[in-house]
This record gives sequence, C-alpha cells and structure tokens, in this order.
Amino acid sequence: MLQTAKATFHRNMISMIRAYPWSFFLSHILSGIYTVLFAYFTYTYVFEGVLDSRFSNYAGTNDYLSYVFLGGALFSFAVSTLMNVSRSLITEQREGTLEALLLTPSSRKGYFLGNVTQQITRTLLEFLIILIFAFLLGLQFKHIHFLSAIFIWFCAVIGFFSQALLLGSVMLYFRDTYITQNTLFVTMAFVSGVTFPIGYLPEWVAPLSWMMPLTPALEAFRHSVLEGQGLAASGSQLLHLSFLSFLYLIVGSLGIKKTEKIVVEKIFS
Amino acid sequence: MLIVDGVSKVYQSKVREKLWKTTYKEVKAVEDLSFQIEPGKIIGLLGMNGAGKTTTIKMCTTLLEPNSGSITVDGYDAVKDDRKVKSLVNMIAGGERMLYWRLTGRENLNYFGNLYGIKEATLKQRIDLLLKEVGLEDAADTPVEQYSKGMKQRLQIARGLINDPKYLFLDEPTLGLDAPIAKHLRSYVKTLAKEKNKGVLLTSHYIDEVEELCDEVYILDKGRLILHDTPERLTASVFKENSLHIWVPALPNRTQKELEKLLRTYHAKMEIKQSIDLEEIEIIIKTEQEITSSVLALLSNHQLTVLKLVVEQPKLEDAILHLAERRIG
Ligand SMILES: Nc1ncnc2c1ncn2[C@@H]1O[C@H](COP(=O)(O)OP(=O)(O)O)[C@@H](O)[C@H]1O
Ligand SMILES: [Mg+2]
Repeated sequence: MLQTAKATFHRNMISMIRAYPWSFFLSHILSGIYTVLFAYFTYTYVFEGVLDSRFSNYAGTNDYLSYVFLGGALFSFAVSTLMNVSRSLITEQREGTLEALLLTPSSRKGYFLGNVTQQITRTLLEFLIILIFAFLLGLQFKHIHFLSAIFIWFCAVIGFFSQALLLGSVMLYFRDTYITQNTLFVTMAFVSGVTFPIGYLPEWVAPLSWMMPLTPALEAFRHSVLEGQGLAASGSQLLHLSFLSFLYLIVGSLGIKKTEKIVVEKIFS
Repeated sequence: MLIVDGVSKVYQSKVREKLWKTTYKEVKAVEDLSFQIEPGKIIGLLGMNGAGKTTTIKMCTTLLEPNSGSITVDGYDAVKDDRKVKSLVNMIAGGERMLYWRLTGRENLNYFGNLYGIKEATLKQRIDLLLKEVGLEDAADTPVEQYSKGMKQRLQIARGLINDPKYLFLDEPTLGLDAPIAKHLRSYVKTLAKEKNKGVLLTSHYIDEVEELCDEVYILDKGRLILHDTPERLTASVFKENSLHIWVPALPNRTQKELEKLLRTYHAKMEIKQSIDLEEIEIIIKTEQEITSSVLALLSNHQLTVLKLVVEQPKLEDAILHLAERRIG
C-alpha cells in the first residue's frame, strides 16, 4: 500500500510541475477570497457592522468578520480536497489509463492516499494564502490555540477525504463531474455554517448540516482559532467528525470498488 | 496453465427509447467459451469485429467478471484471487491509451512497476532492459506526449511486460502499426513465448499474422467458439481457396470450352457474370492451386484482351461464414 501511495504521490508531483492547470490553483484561491470579500462588504456596508442579537448566541463570538473569514478559508480548502480526490479515478477513465491501473494488483487505498497527500501540498498553500489575505482584512489570531487548531485541521482532512471517496464513486458511476460536484459544494456552503451559524437555518435542513463533515470541522476549528480553546472544548464536534469520516470511508471504499467494475463494463473500446 | 472453463459474459446496456423511458438491451458477448493457455505456447483468437475477443481478454485479465463459468490461472481464481492473478498476467492493446502522456517513458514504467510492488533495484534493471528491447532508450526521458504513434505502442509493450507476466494477452497488437514495426513486434512475441516460456494469447483480424505466430487457433463467431485447430490445418481446410476475377470484353464459346477443360484438370470452379450493359464479362475462378498464369496464357492464345485482373486471398469473413454454414448444415 505504501509503495503505491509513494509512487502515486511522485507521479502526481511530476505531472503537476510539468502541466498543472494553474488556473485551478488561482480559481480556488480566488473563490476563497471572494467569499471573504463578500462577507466583508456585506458586513461593513449592508449591516454597517451591526449584528443581529442572535448571532453571538448562535456563533459563540461577536467577531463576525473572523467568523466568516475562517469559514471561507476552510470551505475552499474542503472544496479543493473533495474536488481533487474525487476526480482522480474519473480522470484516469477519461485519459484512458483506468484499465492499465486496474490491471495492476495495487491497493486502491494506497492510490488515494498518494493522491490526497500530494494534493495537500497544494491545497494547504491555497489555504494559507486565503488566511493571510483574511488576516490583512482583520482576521484575529490573537487567541489561537495552535496545537489543537492543527489537530482539528488534520481531522478535517480525513473527513473531507472520506467524503471525497463517496463523491468520487457517485461521479464515476454517472460519469459526471460538473453537476454532482457543484450541487454538493453549493449545498455545503449553505448548510455547514460557512458564512452564518446553522442556528439560523430552518429545522428541516438540520439533517443536511449534520451530514457534512465541514459542519463539525468548522465549529471545532473556530473554537480553537477564535476562542483559543483546547481539544476538550470540541469533544462532541470531533466525535461527530470521526463518526462521519468512518462512515464515509467505509461506504466510499465499497462504492469505489463497485463502480470500478461497472465502469469497466461501460468502457467501449 | 490458464484455464477458461465454460465462460459466458452478458453486457447490459441502456437504450433510451423516449426521453423518460429506458430499456435494457442484453448483448451476449461471449457464450460458453472454454480453452487453455500453456506456458510457452501462442494461442490465436480470431474473429470478426464484435466476436467477443476483447471481452474474453478482459475477463482473463480480471478487468471483467464472467457471468458464469470460471477462469483459473495457475490454480488461482480470476475473481476470488484477483490480486494474485493480476500479478501473473498482463495485457497489451493496440492504440495509444493506457499510458500517462505527461510522464516520460521511464516514469511510466516506473509508476506501473511500483503498482506491481516490484522492488526498486529489480525494477530499475528491468526498466533499462525493456526500454532497450523496445528501442526506446533514446526517448526514455522524453514525455510520452511527444512520442510518435509507433513509439507509444512500443512503450505500451514495455508496460505490458513490466511485471514479467507469465501469461500475456495481446489485443490486436499490430492494428495501425507500420509494416516493419508490426513485423518486429511479431518476432518479439515469438521470442517471448519460445525463449521466455510465456503463454501468449493474441487476437487478430489477420489470418497471416495468426498463421505466422500461433501454435493453436480458436475462431470465435458471435461469442461462440466455432473452430479450434492448428494454423496449418486451418489454412489447409478453410483458407485454401483463392478466387481469381478476370474481366474480358467477350467470351467466345470456343474459349469457354477450352477454359472449362483446363479448369477441370485443376478441380477449379468457374462462374461467369455478364455486366448489365453487356460491355464486359467477369470470369470468377475458385481454386486451391496457383493457376493464374495458365489461365492468362490460354486467354492470350485466344487473342482475348484482359481488362482487369483481381486475385482475392481467402478472407476471414468468408471462412467464418463457411464454417458457420457447415455447423448448421
Ligand atoms: N461495454 C460494452 N457494453 C455493451 N456491449 C458491449 C460492450 N463491449 C462490447 N460489447 C458488445 O459485445 C460484443 C463483443 O465485443 P468485443 O469483445 O469488443 O468484440 P471484439 O473484440 O471481438 O471485436 C459486441 O457485440 C459488442 O458490441
Ligand atoms: Mg476487440
């Protein structure tokens, strides 16, 4: 498994350096920055800095800007990870290498592990650039609990990765990248507490919020970055996140295994 | 030994009849197929387009699961022990797919070698050797997107050999290759079987290719096995009849009589067709012997001008039709 992971990491690194569509990189950063800017302008000019009294109640903080900036940054990180991992097999299929890959006795877990670790080298950079930008606009780091923030970020990666496996098998099954992906991303932006606390949402949306790993990840991340809390404060969020990761990892792995077979049957050559 | 035992494969494909209504269409791609591949032997799988050759190969290489029947490779089941089987087999298909175009030739082989779990030192040696054998040493560090079609195909061959497979499947490997490259590939395949003791299964449209390489031939038609024989016996029994088409402006009775007499001595059959405008006559002669020159000599003795002459080699299509008829009859 590790040999496959290492080789896949290396392979992706080479292709990225040789022919990465850098417009992707830019568009990920830009969409993160837009989220941040949008929130900034709405807050400053529409609400004129005045918050609904419910906000601090729901969000646990009065610092709306920092709240949104973190949301935007982690959201765009989630989107990048989901997109990169879930597209990997369908890209192999489109480029005609899927069969060559499936001919080998390589571990699929190793393959995805190699993919995700390589992609993190890039998505992490995107994430940091967005955070720096948000910092310039007023994101507060003064309370940050550094270790727990990193730990939570790491758990979030696992969550997004597992969710990506499931998304990937759905995309592979329908051989669609655009509709499936974008529906998920728009929903995620709305229900996971990216720009406003989920407390504002009607009750029937709650199950959707609950299903997104981004929801608990974001709550826990805000606890540690904005409120400077240790891991103990985010126990229930971490439990929630681990549960979703575990669930999606299992369902996603099974899904990938099944759809691989179906897709080969559909390849007409 | 690779044993294919009573294997069938049905594809289900969606057919959209109306916007809201889809039905499933079933295609029986392979039906009750059995054969074996021994190490060191080259097996030919012949058949027209859509006969089920590629499907058979995909099942033998674990890409597809049969609906019924079993495939075992050195005792391992292709479905249950698929990982083990994958390490014993490999496949090379014609065309330019199955390679990463952004990577160089060497990087491709290195990646696939790692996916097979080959140790670094062994892999490095093997890659050098393979690149040399397929003549890509100089292009080893050039990205594949800059390769010519022939070079891609040669790299494809190296990829197919990277795990030193015991059984190798070649799906129309010479399709679209230039003649000299195709020839080189054929002799290489022969070496693989005879000197490296690999079991090879080769599919082809071309009877010549199969005749040159194979120890045994299987002919598939609509997913069913219709013949299993040695190539020599096959060509002797099915592919022996050439047909000779000669167009002349007219065919006087006297000439026709003489021609018939000549053909009788060769046991050849003749058919005469007149064109609609009565301007020319086509003589079709079916024979197992080489009689073109005697026929032409006779015609020229009778002062007949030959307008056109075509010699048709026996075609696989004809042979399959012929065999299918014989089976039904
Ligand atoms: N992915 C597929 N889905 C549906 N039908 C298929 C598929 N692949 C092949 N077929 C059908 O199965 C039959 C056998 O195809 P194939 O094995 O590719 O034949 P060959 O390689 O001998 O040309 C054909 O009728 C073909 O149309
Ligand atoms: Mg085919």
